[in-house]
Amino acid sequence: MNGPLIVQSDKTLLLEVDHDRADACRRAIAPFAELERAPEHIHTYRVTPLGLWNARAAGHDAEQVVDALVEFSRYPVPHALLVDVAETMARYGRLTLVKHPTHGLVLSTTDRPVLEEVLRSKKIQPLVGARIDPDTVAVHPSERGQIKQTLLKLGWPAEDHAGYVDGEAHRIDLDESGWALRPYQKQAVEGFWHGGSGVVVLPCGAGKTLVGAGAMAQAKATTLILVTNTVSARQWKHELIKRTSLTEEEIGEYSGAKKEIRPVTIATYQVLTTKRKGIYPHLELFDSRDWGLILYDEVHLLPAPVFKFTADLQARRRLGLTATLVREDGRESDVFSLIGPKRFDAPWKEIEAQGYIAPADCVEVRVNLTDSERLAYATAETEEKYRFCATTDTKRKVAEALVRRHAGQQTLVIGQYIDQLDELGEHLNAPVIKGETPNSQREKLFDAFRNGDISVLVVSKVANFSIDLPEATIAIQVSGTFGSRQEEAQRLGRVLRPKADGHKAHFYSVVARDTIDQDFAAHRQRFLAEQGYAYRIVDADDLFADD
Amino acid sequence: MPAGTSAGRPAGQPAREAGGTAAGAPVRPHDEASAHTPADAPDGTAPDARDGSEAPPGTRTADRTGTPPRTLAEALRNRGDRGLAALLRARPDLLSPVPNDLTQLATRAGTRASVVRALERLDRFAQQTAQALAVAVEPTSYGTLLALMSGDDGDPAVEAALPRALEVLRERALVWGDDDRLRLVRTARELLAPSPQHPSPTGLGPTAAEATAGMSPGRLQEILAAAGLPTTHDPVSAVASLTSLFTDRERMAALLDTAPAEALAVLDRLVWGPPYGTVAPPGDSSGAAESTPVQWLRDRGLLLPSSLRTVVLPREVALHLRGGRAHREPEPVAPGIEVAAEHRPQIVDSTAAGQAYTALATVEELLKGWQTGGPAVLRAGGLSVRDLKRTAAALDVSEQIAAFWLELAYAAGLLASDGGEGTSRATGEGERFAPTPAYDEWLDLPAASRWTALATAWLTATRTSGLVGGQDAKGRTLAALGPDLDRGAAPEVRHRVLALLADLPWGAAPDPESVLARLRWEHPVRTPAQPAPGTPEPSDLRSRIAVWTLTEAELLGLTGRGALSTAARTLLAAPALPATADRNRGERGAGVVPGTAETAPEPAGGVPVGSATHGPADLAARAALAAGVIAPLLPEPLDHVLLQADLTAVAPGPLERPLAEALGVLADVESKGGATVYRFTPASVRRALDAGQAAADLHAFLARHSRTPVPQPLSYLIDDVARKHGHLRIGAASAYVRCDDDALLDEILADRRSHGLRMRRLAPTVLAAQADPATLLEGLRGMGFAPAAESAEGDVLITRADAHRTPHRTPPVPVPDGPPVPNDTLLGAAVKAIRAGDLAATAVRKPAPHTGAGELPRTTPAETLATVQAAALTGSAIWIGYVNADGAASQRVIAPVRVEGGFVTAYDHTADEVRTYPLHRITGVAELADEPA
Repeated sequence: MNGPLIVQSDKTLLLEVDHDRADACRRAIAPFAELERAPEHIHTYRVTPLGLWNARAAGHDAEQVVDALVEFSRYPVPHALLVDVAETMARYGRLTLVKHPTHGLVLSTTDRPVLEEVLRSKKIQPLVGARIDPDTVAVHPSERGQIKQTLLKLGWPAEDHAGYVDGEAHRIDLDESGWALRPYQKQAVEGFWHGGSGVVVLPCGAGKTLVGAGAMAQAKATTLILVTNTVSARQWKHELIKRTSLTEEEIGEYSGAKKEIRPVTIATYQVLTTKRKGIYPHLELFDSRDWGLILYDEVHLLPAPVFKFTADLQARRRLGLTATLVREDGRESDVFSLIGPKRFDAPWKEIEAQGYIAPADCVEVRVNLTDSERLAYATAETEEKYRFCATTDTKRKVAEALVRRHAGQQTLVIGQYIDQLDELGEHLNAPVIKGETPNSQREKLFDAFRNGDISVLVVSKVANFSIDLPEATIAIQVSGTFGSRQEEAQRLGRVLRPKADGHKAHFYSVVARDTIDQDFAAHRQRFLAEQGYAYRIVDADDLFADD
Repeated sequence: MPAGTSAGRPAGQPAREAGGTAAGAPVRPHDEASAHTPADAPDGTAPDARDGSEAPPGTRTADRTGTPPRTLAEALRNRGDRGLAALLRARPDLLSPVPNDLTQLATRAGTRASVVRALERLDRFAQQTAQALAVAVEPTSYGTLLALMSGDDGDPAVEAALPRALEVLRERALVWGDDDRLRLVRTARELLAPSPQHPSPTGLGPTAAEATAGMSPGRLQEILAAAGLPTTHDPVSAVASLTSLFTDRERMAALLDTAPAEALAVLDRLVWGPPYGTVAPPGDSSGAAESTPVQWLRDRGLLLPSSLRTVVLPREVALHLRGGRAHREPEPVAPGIEVAAEHRPQIVDSTAAGQAYTALATVEELLKGWQTGGPAVLRAGGLSVRDLKRTAAALDVSEQIAAFWLELAYAAGLLASDGGEGTSRATGEGERFAPTPAYDEWLDLPAASRWTALATAWLTATRTSGLVGGQDAKGRTLAALGPDLDRGAAPEVRHRVLALLADLPWGAAPDPESVLARLRWEHPVRTPAQPAPGTPEPSDLRSRIAVWTLTEAELLGLTGRGALSTAARTLLAAPALPATADRNRGERGAGVVPGTAETAPEPAGGVPVGSATHGPADLAARAALAAGVIAPLLPEPLDHVLLQADLTAVAPGPLERPLAEALGVLADVESKGGATVYRFTPASVRRALDAGQAAADLHAFLARHSRTPVPQPLSYLIDDVARKHGHLRIGAASAYVRCDDDALLDEILADRRSHGLRMRRLAPTVLAAQADPATLLEGLRGMGFAPAAESAEGDVLITRADAHRTPHRTPPVPVPDGPPVPNDTLLGAAVKAIRAGDLAATAVRKPAPHTGAGELPRTTPAETLATVQAAALTGSAIWIGYVNADGAASQRVIAPVRVEGGFVTAYDHTADEVRTYPLHRITGVAELADEPA
């Protein structure tokens, strides 16, 4: 009766972290409950059907879940909730996709009425073929992804036992000289390989690339890697050459600039989703080789068309990498049914506690606008308001003051609006990297930054993802893509690489007070606040009063 | 009934009713309670001498010691006072009004309504016994009855249970007479005996004698001959001989041995009822006699005609085929309650307590939401579907469950219509629902008492929330909190269901189906159509109430995981004797208590009287006990919360009410349950500031109730909101004075004459006044200033006396005296109408030219009826006066064809067609002198 867990009627679980049994409880509930918020005293987990099915996919049964809830709960668990958990979990695996020796891909059931129910659905009918026996129905192999998606929407997620093609074998080994996979990275690789396909959730800076490399070394097959942009593609390539037995010749880049197809090919989402005359000309990439593994970097950004292609690739192993499963478009269920269930997850603070990511001090700097700026803001058009308050002069001055304050440390100034960035670059006498900066120039600047030749870099959102800048210590965000939570997390991730001397990273978000900027900032910070990054809010005047 | 069984009852058995007199029962086996049973009758004189003081002893002594009773009244007279009391308890309808004497009591006990009611309240086996008696020859001996119930082969269970069932029937005055001459009350017999209109649940048909009534003697002779019986010309002895054949097992067996297989198949179809079969009329098969199996059976009287196309299986034949059994499946023993799951009692109690707390929180949340601007009361009473939906959404439950909480709060007196009070405050008009003053008192109670208040209200309520959303007989939707939700059976069924649960071992959850089966046994539904096994929804009301009871008990925390909690057991009291608590019959108690665990919970009388005999004081006492049981299980209110940097506060348990209320203002509730999660937002903080709190108060409040330091973002949020709060000030003013000269405004304010204008300085150059502009102008002019009025745009307003005008008006229409002069069209139409009426009047009169002065004939209703009936018999025409539905009188000549049910069907000579006239509309009749043409 004195457990650390409180089960709420809305199916959230509150875990008191300071409780003696909190760790045991966390381990017990982590398989089926999503960590939603991890502030300092009480962590909130949510029990969702997806989470329960994730647990089923990982081999947990309803009894374990119920036991965990009852065992650790401080108050009696509502009976209805337990019943609901059991019922929800029982829905998973009633239907399985298997390979039939003669009929190919079939959907078979252990519960005939369920099969009858789903076959009656208009959305399922075009996806299935002949009824083979009362418990089995043929499925068009091309609809393997589609039917999984549809069944999940109907509430009867199918277990996919149809297996994977091995793909074209290609020798890939990890080259672990002078470094080794961290324990959690190993766990992530094992979790993925054991499950066949799925998503690994790791904080920014926790070494997702290495998990990808580890997975490739397991698969030992030709691999297609999908990344967000060209810079990131180069970085993957660089990292793979450094960490694996792969050579430069074996890795191809398929982007706007180059169209190489090699045993390991790194393609950008952008080139894949380029549409010409109503068709996707680069789609054939998926069929150009017999891929044994497909890696999705930043799976939370996966564009909708890629989902559609992915639906057709269900026979290949798929690994999704991300820092957060939060999608601003709410398509988490598509990730579940098309890429696979979550196979590994580690809270940010836990990795930080292990020393693999740097501790960070997050500060929201509130800036008072001048009277004339306030007046201009009040009269601005609604759609211009954010742009206006995000790019005020006062903000620029505060950003400059912050840079000065941390002079000598590797500092990134990140913003959304090019004019603002250019202006900042000018005032700070720092180079600016933006969309139009050629890739060669970008690489050069990033290298200079890594080497310490330049200490301040002004970057636009091109640097949001997958840019490895280990020595960046200070990030100053002057504007962002409205209220995007994942962008904030990604930007914080820029400074989270562990520092050589173990010093703290600083993340400043400069926000104009009493404007829409402040509301967006509050929304942006929610994910990180929930991950346990407590923002301090400081008035710009106070901040510099000490100086 | 074995004599002296009452001695077997363990002494000290508690919960006897009737206090003092009953207390002696266990130690006095020969008290009058047992004296009146047939088995005890021989020594009936002794108890009689003892109770002789309270009634005229003479007659009763004579009756009791004399011959067996000849009527029900005599049988009742022979009973002891306890026997009569038991009868009146079991059939309380006999008490209103209190009968004058036993004859009247017997008469009333024999009325149809009362007997129907009494029969409905029997358990299934007692009903089956009564049904068997109804098909037996009157008077019936106990042996015959036993044979009917258990069949030729005997059935030990039936044998064991029959005395009890018979005793119940006797107690309820449905059966009287001693064991040799059992008689079913005549009305009951009529109700239960088979007839073509009301098939008996036994599936038996009429006796051979009844079925052959009206058959021609010749046909009887043929049957006798075919059956191989000696012929006789006397139909009575012929039927007797046929009956004796049918009841003789050996001869019947011999006869049936000769039957063709198809004929036996036909009998098989009819044997368990319904006993009627449709056949081709006998004429059709005359050419091929003996050709069909049915014909074979008809020839031998094994099937007898009941109408032209139907035949019936005589009762005696059916009984022979059934092996003497009146029922296919006698159910002497109540079906047991099956245990679906067993939980540890602690788990049950804690789950139930958790749910009990949820119940309290839900009711509180519901009523808190309704204390400002509760939903409107529908004109027909109750809550609109939309409001119910909204409530359900607010509580995050289904509508059905929302209706339950509403009805619960209503039953507990916490919620009611305001009767239109307070409409001035409410936005709309009319009645609204709102919490009652009792709600405030309830809130002040400790949690355990709040729970018992809800639980006892639910136990005794006749309102059933399960009906909400359904439709009444007229197809109207039943609204929550609306009318027509009362079901008298509800408290009794609830008690009974919970009593059945209480009989299970602690921690055992029942299989709901078995509970329903048991209830149906104890209180069979009138329609013989039993729900087929596997039917998902039980249709009869009692079963539905029982299903609701199980759900609601779980919601209310009386049960946890389906098993009855300790607190609920305490509330229900004396759980071992739920059914016997209200029974003081010695032999009944004896039958119940020493029995095995299997028979112990069997309710002797079949009707659980439930709360009817538990006084409210008794219930209150048990509620207090139950509160004591549940109190330690309910969570203690906390006085602290955990504040977090993501601007949430978590209360890891229920909060003390003042804290919860204050926090509810300062933050928004994000998640509820065992704990509460609050989120601070600028809006919520502003709400607290609006409520009169200062930022410092809020800081202090949070610091006081937080176990950890207040996070910086939260302090910052409060300060940030407080900084802006009240920055803009808004007030109302009627007029203003502005002037560029500060000194002049100083002067105005300083002037005493300006006080009446209630002016206040808003800014150095602006004054606000509560007086309207015109008064202000007047006032300032009076003070010697020269103010100018200003328009909304700030221009100086030139005042000029405007000529006043009304809005657009039409001139009055002239009102002439008297009606307008008619025009030609109107006149033409009027004349035509008058002519037509006149024509009609003469046309009516024609067929009856002798109608005196054209008045309607007037006769008394009796005379009318007699005349009409006579005319119907003779086929003659009569002349009637008739008032139609619109009240118009007319005279008609009709030839009545049929007079029944207050209507005359007649050929109307006037209208030249057959019409039906209600007799009460006929003002009078007169015979016609001669037949009309």
